Amino acid sequence: MILSHFTALVIFALIVSTVFALITKNEPREQFRYGVFVFLSFLAVAVVVGWIMYPLPL
Amino acid sequence: MDQGNGQFEPTSRSAVLEPQPMNMAATLAICSSGWLVPGLAHVLIGRWIRGLIFTVCVLLMFALGLAMHGKLYGLEFDEPLHVFAFIANIGAGIPYWIAERMNLGVGTMTWPSYDYGTTYLWVCGLLNYLIVLDAFDIAQGRKP
Repeated sequence: MILSHFTALVIFALIVSTVFALITKNEPREQFRYGVFVFLSFLAVAVVVGWIMYPLPL
Repeated sequence: MDQGNGQFEPTSRSAVLEPQPMNMAATLAICSSGWLVPGLAHVLIGRWIRGLIFTVCVLLMFALGLAMHGKLYGLEFDEPLHVFAFIANIGAGIPYWIAERMNLGVGTMTWPSYDYGTTYLWVCGLLNYLIVLDAFDIAQGRKP
């Protein structure tokens, strides 16, 4: 199976944010909000770090 | 409810909501089962939905990691840092040993998604450790 980096990142963020939300929060509404926050944070940080690294000659 | 001596007896509602800790032996047995089969600990303590979601998350991540040609690490003392990868991998429990027996998780370094696959395999094991700790806290009455 070959996934694009972004697809792999989205699936990774989705699974990890689901587990984090269920572990750290108790109420369903809190869990949902925290899960969405963590998921979007994963994506945002990855995109920002990607753009920061873009000009580096690696 | 006031008992007349200035003390208040807990209401029946608060008594029901107060978590009752299990004994340590039962807690450890439940946590061990949760380590071997991801999500089972929560199912055993009555958190069916949460347990099933954890099972799906960990097993899906494990299967995707193998499908992306990720590497499962064994206990190799000649490469000391690999021990950490091994500890992360065995967090997945029985699926790790099944995959090892089936010669899966060999890891193809030239495969484009090799790094992602290996990371998926590490993280699903580490997530399962967190899930087991969550089950421990619930069983001990530290979490509702």
